[in-house]
Amino acid sequence: MTRIVEAYIGEYASGKSENAVNRAIGLAEQGHKVTLVDLDLVEPVYTLRPLIPLLEEKGVHVIAWKTAETLGLGEAGSVLHPAMRWALKNEGDVILDIGYGAKGSAVLNLLEGVEDDPDFKVLLVVNTLRPMTDSVEKILAYLGEAGPADGFIANTHLGEKDTTAELMREGFAMVREAADRAGLPVVAMAVEERFRADFPDGIWEGVPVRFLRRYLPKGFW
Amino acid sequence: MATKPIEKDTNVFVTGNEVVAWAALAADAQIMYGYPITPQNEIMHYWTRLAPQHDRRFLQTEDELSAGFTTCGGVMTGTRAFTATAGPGTILMQEPITMAEMMRIPLVVVVQQRGGPSTATVIYSQQEVNLCCYGGNGEGFRVVYSTSGHQDLYDYTIKAFNTAWKYRVPTIVLGDGYQAKMREAVTMYDPASRGIEMEPTTPFVGAEGCPGVDRDPRFYRNTYNTEEELLDVVNDLKAHYDSFKDEVIEYEESDIDDAEIVVVGHGVVSRACKEAVKALRKDGFKVGYFRPITLRPFPEKQLAAAVEGKKCVLAVESALGQMKRLMTDGLYGMTVPIEEYFKPGKGVSAQELVEKVKSMMD
Repeated sequence: MTRIVEAYIGEYASGKSENAVNRAIGLAEQGHKVTLVDLDLVEPVYTLRPLIPLLEEKGVHVIAWKTAETLGLGEAGSVLHPAMRWALKNEGDVILDIGYGAKGSAVLNLLEGVEDDPDFKVLLVVNTLRPMTDSVEKILAYLGEAGPADGFIANTHLGEKDTTAELMREGFAMVREAADRAGLPVVAMAVEERFRADFPDGIWEGVPVRFLRRYLPKGFW
Repeated sequence: MATKPIEKDTNVFVTGNEVVAWAALAADAQIMYGYPITPQNEIMHYWTRLAPQHDRRFLQTEDELSAGFTTCGGVMTGTRAFTATAGPGTILMQEPITMAEMMRIPLVVVVQQRGGPSTATVIYSQQEVNLCCYGGNGEGFRVVYSTSGHQDLYDYTIKAFNTAWKYRVPTIVLGDGYQAKMREAVTMYDPASRGIEMEPTTPFVGAEGCPGVDRDPRFYRNTYNTEEELLDVVNDLKAHYDSFKDEVIEYEESDIDDAEIVVVGHGVVSRACKEAVKALRKDGFKVGYFRPITLRPFPEKQLAAAVEGKKCVLAVESALGQMKRLMTDGLYGMTVPIEEYFKPGKGVSAQELVEKVKSMMD
């Protein structure tokens, strides 16, 4: 079985954590041994903290700071948790949720063994309805800042009330164009579970659709 | 002249802090001065990312005192300028805000409330109401808009610049950490497309001509020598404030007419109040909703009219009665009892309010 090692990077509020959490739970449900790493060095423990019991219940091993282990949450910064530094050495799949404060993939050089891990992939999550990534040019510019990456996750949506299948498809087309120009694949199209009927084959234009369950509303910030 | 950052209506998925940065851009703000503090940091982050693309500027100062005073300085050169802060930063910001009250400087401050007292949490509260309305040494000659979500943050950030410049009064957009960080869809627009004309900005200092010869001299003072002098100055400031107060007061209400209980909340908490009232109405409960949008000046008459003859008022806030104090001041002399639902530093859900109101109905 191929080992899956994926780091999710992207613009602030692009959907990195939701995609990473869904990926980790999805793999655990398929019987994989999975470690999920909350690699947010600016606001540690916030995003995933309330979800840790749920993740553990679903069989995901979580590496994240616990509130009691940290000081000066939010603005004092943080030191790298030793378990994060060695995260890639965990047996099984490793999913890394890269916090927005970290400068995209630049933070990944803190991980031991990152250069020679043959399975390691960096995935850039893009929501084309985020103003900083709402055109092909802006997506490519953001890739230049936050990259390098090995592929894209198309994650266009407008949240609970205003998302439509049409908007997601338009967003996908824009990400696809950016990916083509960057010479990278679109690894998946992320679609909220409630739109499953709009993508009955689970494939959109040759790209697998990942149906997302919404966990982050229970998360924090 | 820089190009318009937003040409046509755009639906986007954003955080509240980003909304503020975009709204300031759309309002043609030219410079932000700021000092980092969570949960307002991304206002600065996004402003600094957007500013170079739109020929705007940013100055990071050494603290909030300096951020406030440099904003005043920028404004006095005729520049539409703003700053943003939170928590302990809002405390330090009081000195520049009071100077702006005294010298009638159109200072715009966005506050994203965090927990208090002191550093407390970086997360959320509604505990900066006292500070924002009356936190200075003086009389609170300022306008405070309490927003309830992203569309409000967009609309009222734009409006704050116009209120500030039109009446020459320091104006605060009062958000909170939940609004700052939460993600919501919002429609961003060019203010002109909504018929909103931005108030012109003119320099206070460095005007053409020789003072006393070609034009009247301009005095901008925050220091006076005698009590008598100060009495006149403060009375003039009050007269000025009273002259525009009714024009800026804003509030929202629903289901008041036959209501027995009126639920009152401001800011993000008002969303829970509104939702709770809607749910209770569906179940046949006679409940009304009132939300002060301006906390200063406070819609006292409007609230008094809404609660007149009611069985009870429920004051809901993520603080220990900071909004309620504004209410009781406005409702003085009325006999309607005010019940409290206070959760300092913690959010309020519609569900818990439904239960609370039902328990009051028993």
